[in-house]
Amino acid sequence: MENTTLVKENVPGSLPLSIQQPRTSPLREFIKHFRRNRLGVIGLFGILALLLLAVFAPAISDRPTGYGDVTNMLQPPNAQYWFGTDSVGLSIFDQVIWGTRVSLYVGLTSAVISILIGVPIGLLSGYYGGRVSHIGMAITDIFLTLPVLPLMIIMAAVLGTGISNIAIIIGLFSWPQIARVTRAETLAIREKQYIEAARAIGTKESKIIFRHVLLNAFPPILVNMTIIMGTSVLSEAGLSFLGLGDPMSWSWGTILQNAHSTGVIIHAWWLALFPSIAIVVLVLSFNFLGIGINEALNPRLRKR
Amino acid sequence: MTHFLIARLLRGVITVLVAVTATFLILRVMPGDPTTMMLDNRVPEEIRQQLLKDFGLDKDLFTQYLIFLKQLFLGFDLGTSFVQRVPVMDVILSRLPWTLVLMSVSMLITALIGIPLGVIAAYRKGSFLDQAINALSILGIALFIPWLGIILLYFLGLKIPWFPIGGAVTVGLEGWDYIWDATKHLVLPVVSLTIVHLASYVLYMRASTIDVLNEEYIRTARAKGLKERVVLWRHAVRNSLLSTVTMMGLQLGAIVGGAILTETVFAYPGLGRLIYEAVKEHDYPILQGTFLILAVTVVVVNILTDIVYSYLDPKITNS
Repeated sequence: MENTTLVKENVPGSLPLSIQQPRTSPLREFIKHFRRNRLGVIGLFGILALLLLAVFAPAISDRPTGYGDVTNMLQPPNAQYWFGTDSVGLSIFDQVIWGTRVSLYVGLTSAVISILIGVPIGLLSGYYGGRVSHIGMAITDIFLTLPVLPLMIIMAAVLGTGISNIAIIIGLFSWPQIARVTRAETLAIREKQYIEAARAIGTKESKIIFRHVLLNAFPPILVNMTIIMGTSVLSEAGLSFLGLGDPMSWSWGTILQNAHSTGVIIHAWWLALFPSIAIVVLVLSFNFLGIGINEALNPRLRKR
Repeated sequence: MTHFLIARLLRGVITVLVAVTATFLILRVMPGDPTTMMLDNRVPEEIRQQLLKDFGLDKDLFTQYLIFLKQLFLGFDLGTSFVQRVPVMDVILSRLPWTLVLMSVSMLITALIGIPLGVIAAYRKGSFLDQAINALSILGIALFIPWLGIILLYFLGLKIPWFPIGGAVTVGLEGWDYIWDATKHLVLPVVSLTIVHLASYVLYMRASTIDVLNEEYIRTARAKGLKERVVLWRHAVRNSLLSTVTMMGLQLGAIVGGAILTETVFAYPGLGRLIYEAVKEHDYPILQGTFLILAVTVVVVNILTDIVYSYLDPKITNS
C-alpha cells in the first residue's frame, strides 16, 4: 500500500493536485503500453542481455591480456575460438565480451554527464525565458554546431586515454541535444495550470523548477538519454579506432583498430565482423528502447 | 531579413572564437608545456628555455592568447607542425580540398536520396514501404563507419576489384583521366558516408512532412482540386524542407566526424586522415589547426544554410 503512494508521487506525468489523481498510476499505464511495443521490448531485452554479459564477463571468458595462444594466431572461428583469434592469438570472443563492459560504462557515464549539464541549462532557459534563454540557447547551439569528434580527439590526445577520461570527454560534448529537448518541454509545461496553481499557493521557485517542471519534462529527456547512450558508444568506438582507446582495457573499437593498423583486417573478416555486430546490437537496443518509451508515453504515436 | 542574417553571422563569429579559445586552453592547460612534448628530455635546459622564448611561451597565458589570436586572424598563421616542421596552414591547405570534395559530394547525394525517401515514407505512412524505409534508416544510424568501409573495401575493392582500395588519385594522370580516376577513388568513401548519414535526413524529412500534411492549408490545397502531386511536392515539401534545412546545418558536425573515420579507413588524404596521422605522431599544432579549419568550414556552411532557409521561409523574407 505504502509502495503505491510513493510511486504515484514520484512518477513523471503525475499531477501534483490530489483531486486530479488518475485512477490507475501513470507507471502502471506506462508499463501496460510499453509491454505492447515490440521494438521497445526487444531493446530492453537486448540491453539486459548485454548488461548480464558485462557483469558476468569474468565467469564467461578469460580476461584477454598480452599475448594469447601464439600457436593459434589469426584462426578463423572454430570450436575452440568461437569468434576466431587475432594476430597475437587472443580470442576475439573474450575481447568482445570484455568490450561490453567498456561500452556500457562509457554509454552510461557520458549520458549521465550530459544530463547533468544539459538539463539545468534547458530548464533554466526554458523557465525564465528572456536573456537567460538567449544565452543558454546560444551556448547550446555553438556546441551543437562545432564538429565534436575532432575536439574529442584533441582532448583525449592531451588528457590521456583512460576509459573514464574518454567517458567524461564524450559526455562533455553530448549534452546540447538534452538541453534543447528540456527547454522545449519546459516552455510548454510552464504555461500549464498546475504550475500556476503551485505558484499561487506560494511554492518556492526552485521547487517548482526542479520538482514540478523537471518531473513532467522527464519522459522526453529519458528518450533522448537512450539515444545519447547509443551515439556515445559509437563515439567511443570511433575514438578507439583512431588509436585513442584505453590501452589497459578492451573496447570494440580497439579490436578493429588493432586489425586495421596491422593490416590484417582485409584478410581476416572475423576481426571486423564480431565487434561490429556487438556495436550494432548495442546501439540498436538503445534506440529501440527509446522508440518504445516514446511511443508508450505519447498517445499520439501509439499504434492502435 | 538583414537583421536575421547579421544575427546569424555574429553567432558564427562567436562560434569560431569559442573553438579558437577552447583549443588554445586545452593545449596550454595540460601538464607541462609544448616543449616537453616537442623535445626529448635529454635536451639541455637552456635550449628549452630559448625555445620557450622563441615561441612566446615565457609570457603569461593571456598575452600568449592575444599573440595567438593576432597571428591567427592577421597572419592566418596556425603555427608550425611539430613533426614536419612546416607551417600548419600549408599542410592543411594541401589536404582541405579532398575533404571538401568528399563531404560536399556525399551531402549532396544524401540529400538527393534522403529527402524524396522521407517524403514518400510520410505520404505512405504506415504502409509496408514506410516501415521498410524506417527500419533501414534506424539500422543505418547504428552502423559503425569503419566496419562499413571495411566491408565495402573487401567486396568492391578486393573480391570484385571495381574500385581502388585507397588514396584519392593515381599519381601522374592529367585532364579527364585525372578526374575519372579521382571519381573512382571517391565512390567507396562517399557510399559509406552516405549510408550512415542518410538515416537522419530520411527520418527528419518524414517527421516534418507528416506534420505538414496535417496542416489546414494542405486540406485547402486539396479542396481547391489541386493534383496530389502538386499538393505533396509543391505545397507540403516546401514547408517540410524548412526544418530539414536547419537540421542539415546542425548535422554537419556529425558528418565531419564521419569523414574523419571514413578517410582513415580508405587512406583518403583529407583532413580526417591528417588528424589520424597527427594523433599517432602527437603533432598537436596540426590537431589544433585542423579542428579550427573544420570548425570554420562548419560555421560557413551553417551560415549558407541559414541563407537558404531565409530564402525558403516567407516569414523571414517578408519581415
